[in-house]
Amino acid sequence: MIRNPRLEEFQMDMKPSRRPGKQRFTNFFYNEETGEILGRTPESWGKILIFYSIFYAVLIALFAICMVTFLQHFINPRVPRLQQEYSVIGTSPGLGFRPLPPDVRSTLIWYKGTGYESYKYWEDQLIDFLSVYRRKGQTAGAGQNIYNCDFNNSPPPGKVCDVDIRDLYPCTDENHFSFHKSSPCIFLKLNKIYGWRPEVYQSMEELPQEMPLELQQHIWNLTHYNSNFGDMVWVSCQGETPADKENIGPINYLPYPGFPGYFYPYENAEGYLSPLVAIHLQRPKTGILINIECRAWAKNIKYDRRERVGVVHFELMVE
Amino acid sequence: MGEHGRTDSYRVATIGPIKDDNRTADGQYKTRRKPPAKKRKAGDLDDLKQELDIDFHKVTPEELYQRFQTHPENGLSHAKAKENLERDGPNALTPPKQTPEWVKFCKNLFGGFALLLWIGAILCFIAYGIQASTVEEPADDNMYLGIVLSAVVIVTGIFSYYQESKSSKIMESFKNMVPQFATVIREGEKLTLRAEDLVLGDIVEVKFGDRIPADIRIIEARGFKVDNSSLTGESEPQSRGADFTHENPLETKNLAFFSTNAVEGTAKGVVICCGDNTVMGRIAGLASGLDTGETPIAKEIHHFIHLITGVAVFLGVTFFLIAFILGYHWLDAVIFLIGIIVANVPEGLLATVTVCLTLTAKRMASKNCLVKNLEAVETLGSTSTICSDKTGTLTQNRMTVAHMWFDNQIIEADTTEDQSGVQYDRTSPGFKALAKIATLCNRAEFKGGQDGVPILKKEVAGDASEAALLKCMELALGDVLSIRKRNKKACEIPFNSTNKYQISIHESDDPSDPRHLLVMKGAPERILERCSTIFIGGKEKVLDEEMKEAFNNAYLELGGLGERVLGFCDLQLPSDKYPIGYKFNTDDPNFPTDNLRFVGLMSMIDPPRAAVPDAVAKCRSAGIKVIMVTGDHPITAKAIAKSVGIISEGNETVEDIAARLNIPVSEVNPREAKAAVVHGTELRELNSDQLDEILKYHTEIVFARTSPQQKLIIVEGCQRLGAIVAVTGDGVNDSPALKKADIGVAMGIAGSDVSKQAADMILLDDNFASIVTGVEEGRLIFDNLKKSIAYTLTSNIPEISPFLAFILCDIPLPLGTVTILCIDLGTDMVPAISLAYEEAESDIMKRQPRNPFTDKLVNERLISMAYGQIGMIQAAAGFFVYFVIMAENGFLPTHLFGIRKQWDSKAINDLTDSYGQEWTYRDRKALEFTCHTAFFVSIVVVQWADLIICKTRRNSIIHQGMRNWALNFGLIFETALAAFLSYTPGMDKGLRMYPLKFVWWLPAIPFMLSIFIYDEIRRFYLRRNPGGWLEQETYY
Repeated sequence: MIRNPRLEEFQMDMKPSRRPGKQRFTNFFYNEETGEILGRTPESWGKILIFYSIFYAVLIALFAICMVTFLQHFINPRVPRLQQEYSVIGTSPGLGFRPLPPDVRSTLIWYKGTGYESYKYWEDQLIDFLSVYRRKGQTAGAGQNIYNCDFNNSPPPGKVCDVDIRDLYPCTDENHFSFHKSSPCIFLKLNKIYGWRPEVYQSMEELPQEMPLELQQHIWNLTHYNSNFGDMVWVSCQGETPADKENIGPINYLPYPGFPGYFYPYENAEGYLSPLVAIHLQRPKTGILINIECRAWAKNIKYDRRERVGVVHFELMVE
Repeated sequence: MGEHGRTDSYRVATIGPIKDDNRTADGQYKTRRKPPAKKRKAGDLDDLKQELDIDFHKVTPEELYQRFQTHPENGLSHAKAKENLERDGPNALTPPKQTPEWVKFCKNLFGGFALLLWIGAILCFIAYGIQASTVEEPADDNMYLGIVLSAVVIVTGIFSYYQESKSSKIMESFKNMVPQFATVIREGEKLTLRAEDLVLGDIVEVKFGDRIPADIRIIEARGFKVDNSSLTGESEPQSRGADFTHENPLETKNLAFFSTNAVEGTAKGVVICCGDNTVMGRIAGLASGLDTGETPIAKEIHHFIHLITGVAVFLGVTFFLIAFILGYHWLDAVIFLIGIIVANVPEGLLATVTVCLTLTAKRMASKNCLVKNLEAVETLGSTSTICSDKTGTLTQNRMTVAHMWFDNQIIEADTTEDQSGVQYDRTSPGFKALAKIATLCNRAEFKGGQDGVPILKKEVAGDASEAALLKCMELALGDVLSIRKRNKKACEIPFNSTNKYQISIHESDDPSDPRHLLVMKGAPERILERCSTIFIGGKEKVLDEEMKEAFNNAYLELGGLGERVLGFCDLQLPSDKYPIGYKFNTDDPNFPTDNLRFVGLMSMIDPPRAAVPDAVAKCRSAGIKVIMVTGDHPITAKAIAKSVGIISEGNETVEDIAARLNIPVSEVNPREAKAAVVHGTELRELNSDQLDEILKYHTEIVFARTSPQQKLIIVEGCQRLGAIVAVTGDGVNDSPALKKADIGVAMGIAGSDVSKQAADMILLDDNFASIVTGVEEGRLIFDNLKKSIAYTLTSNIPEISPFLAFILCDIPLPLGTVTILCIDLGTDMVPAISLAYEEAESDIMKRQPRNPFTDKLVNERLISMAYGQIGMIQAAAGFFVYFVIMAENGFLPTHLFGIRKQWDSKAINDLTDSYGQEWTYRDRKALEFTCHTAFFVSIVVVQWADLIICKTRRNSIIHQGMRNWALNFGLIFETALAAFLSYTPGMDKGLRMYPLKFVWWLPAIPFMLSIFIYDEIRRFYLRRNPGGWLEQETYY
């Protein structure tokens, strides 16, 4: 009689005995019968923890090896691996403004013209921002790098141009950046892009149609005085809407309405400082919110208001 | 995945308790009752489980006419018929109440993960609404995400609804649309009415070939026989007459039941029950009143959904609170919550599971297993007990000559369907004589127009045993009809139940022999009584005691095989006394009916199908207990059980042991017997504990003479013991059990509509062997679903970890919600589905069925592997790519920590990177989305390895091979889709996917390789140390 041993017993799967919910719950934390804590015996916990410790240690090591290999072989701490059109940053810099509001999401500069407490924040922000420009001489190493640049004298590699912030009156800290007179100074700077050179407008004819006439006039004056001044990334600010244009009042650009071309290209040199344009809003209408848009002008700076390309937007409200 | 409306309580509620037969004390019918209150459901169902209890068969015909106000000759008056029809409604079965389509749709729309995704979508809209009302230029992201999430839910909802309704439509093809007609006598006139218009008290006439239009009490019958097999499982036609013969309504001869078939004769009867009140209606009602609960796979999927939802809610709430504690704006916290939900929910997984099940269902349909309910695809795989009906499922449902006894030896006839069995000597004189009798003393004939049909499959007009003889003879001798023609029939006494024999007298086909031949067949003992000689070895011998002993032994042996035995004898009538043209008188026989010559015995059985023994063996080696449950007699049932291996060779029942040891049955220890044959009446006496004992301690069980209710009790008993039960059956009597079973399997050809309605699966070829295919496919899909889920869940970790890092480390978001959806609904879908095509790793038919309480579809080991190990490697790959791209563009890793606020602020237009470059908001975001794309691509790259390692749970990939072309296609597809999403122009606007440099595909490669190598090593150790610690912790 040949019998298949498998056929001997059909083991019915028995339903597990149900315990009362509370007991099952306490048993989960500590089961007296088996000595299980949270469903495992201490020994079992130990094994699984050792397993996972080793597993994650190896994984972290793998990650670290990959990371270190990559950083050491492909990344130069001074020069970005990808530049300009090869990088996502592209070749069209944006603009930034200072002072920045306390809330990072906001672009509203709002203060009461009369109260020191009210504009102190903005003044402190600007002092803080400009401190590197003041300190430049004292910083070790940076001092020797400074080169006296002008339009005929571009700095040699490794040297940087000086940005003088002392002759920006009335936009100086001694003058509280003119905030107290309800005619605040806002500082603009062009975003640094490694290796980027502006393609400046070579002649009046090249200036685009949409450039404000005021700026065109200004450019004509400057270049007429010294044709070298044409080597400049021009800046213009205006109100966004017709109402804003009316409310904004006259604007004074200090020292010039533009960033001199000799500051470029930015090559992460020690002590490099972005050139600044202080815009002095001489008589902005008070008690009303003014939308201001400042735009940088060069042949290779794209402009898109919606995408905020080549342009910076902020609001000003002086009470 | 819901219950698919399998929980109708409608019938149970409307069909009253049996004891109350809806009559008032004076026998008048009560008016139609209102449905009893819902809470009676349980009681009603118990009542339905009780045996049928009516008295229509007991009362005298006169009382019956009086009760229905009808007349045996004239029938009902038209007015009364109309009144009855209005009161009782049409004579048809109420179709089971369907769940309304919109409820089904809503279940798909809000079940499973859908609810969680809806919450995500609503949160998106709320966040957008708040942003829209507070900020001038709100970011549209949240609105788009909300729309996308809603669309995802709706599309997957529609998809699964469509799949579900498609499979439920299968049933419609089975609906018998041919209207039934009945001949009715009303006001003395014979009318032909549609069966639906019959009412109580109608006098109907039925003839052979008709379907009985309602439950009727026979008042007149002429040779009337009905086939009750669909109701009781008896394979032989039952004769019916006007006499009350048995207390049990199913056994008494004067009742014929709705939907059974009249096979012979004619009869006239009174309609006593209509529609749902008929025996068949009550069984159908019992079937649809049963609450069958969830399928095993639905339970598994629910368990898994709970697990994932639990994790999602836990993480979501935790990080929502952490975000608050870290001082985030509450709106940010809500957005984190959305991200965590989206990352945590495998959006495409339920659709994947549905597709996998559909693919398997299709594959099974091509192997003749039609699945009505998608979820039932897997159920056969986890089945641990099969309760099989005998007639038509295990057997051919066709009486066939199995044995012959002549020349004092038993000859085995070929019973296989394709005549591949043993052959016997057809030249001996004994056989020739026997064959002649069997040929001539036989009224059965082949129906016309079946020229091309194999002999065994031909339809025959006549009694089942005569048909068996006819076929046997046609096979042995050739053209039976011409033999009969040559031996002209002179006269005939047909079979009747009192003398239990049949005689016919024929002229000889030999022109030189003028003698008539008298041939006779019938119950063997009656035949033997009339014989004085026996024909052995070509010689006529005196029938002495020795020969009688031999006859008895043969008779007992054949009877013991559960076969129906017929005896045959003949006599050459002397030509001088009975010349050609002699007038034989059948009413008062003027010819000898004694001192005949005994020729032999032939025995018939409904033989098992050829493939069944093999299939039963396969089921048993797969650890599945096969129980036979039949309405047929115990001896027949046991014989078939033995021949198909349900009772294996050498295993004895209690009765066998008693007989062998020659002791009374009561002295045998029931535990010693592995096999058991339990009679229905015995079963009726058992309480549930005793039944449990039988089911537990006997491995080989046959239940005989069981009623539909008892079949149900047996199924419930098995389920009580924790088994997952499959029931196969074809008759109406099987339908409650089919419905109650975890998976009911009905027969496609022989099966009744009611059984098909109640079943979850239909065997199109009526072959039990197809069940083995079902088991195999079910087990395979369970394994493959595990693999598919493991694959899909793994990518959850690289999806969710960016969010956690974003919140905890304040880095720019490495992977966005849109890209997460691209993975879940895009690149992961095809590979996950392709795992359904994976071949089995080992012989899945050689292992025990899964334990439904411990072998979960998704267990902690799967989660540990997917989330704790592979997922972590994948996340590392993603973060590596992220840091690489950030660093190449200027943001060194150390610089990224803590800049999230400035990074995400639109107001900051000059964020400084590690090289002093200043980034506008737009450029930063472009960089961020490039990182999302690269993270996405790296997930695709590591998922290559994940897909390959998920192919096997134990074997090496070298062993398994890459022959799954669907999977290979999946690898190419996901890569192509990722490239498409990244490089198609316009994707930066639409999905915020940016084109990647080629080298950015590469950083994930070391991680991909390490996944592959790690898992190969892990599986190598699994194989080397079976049952070891690593297996306990990581084998899912």
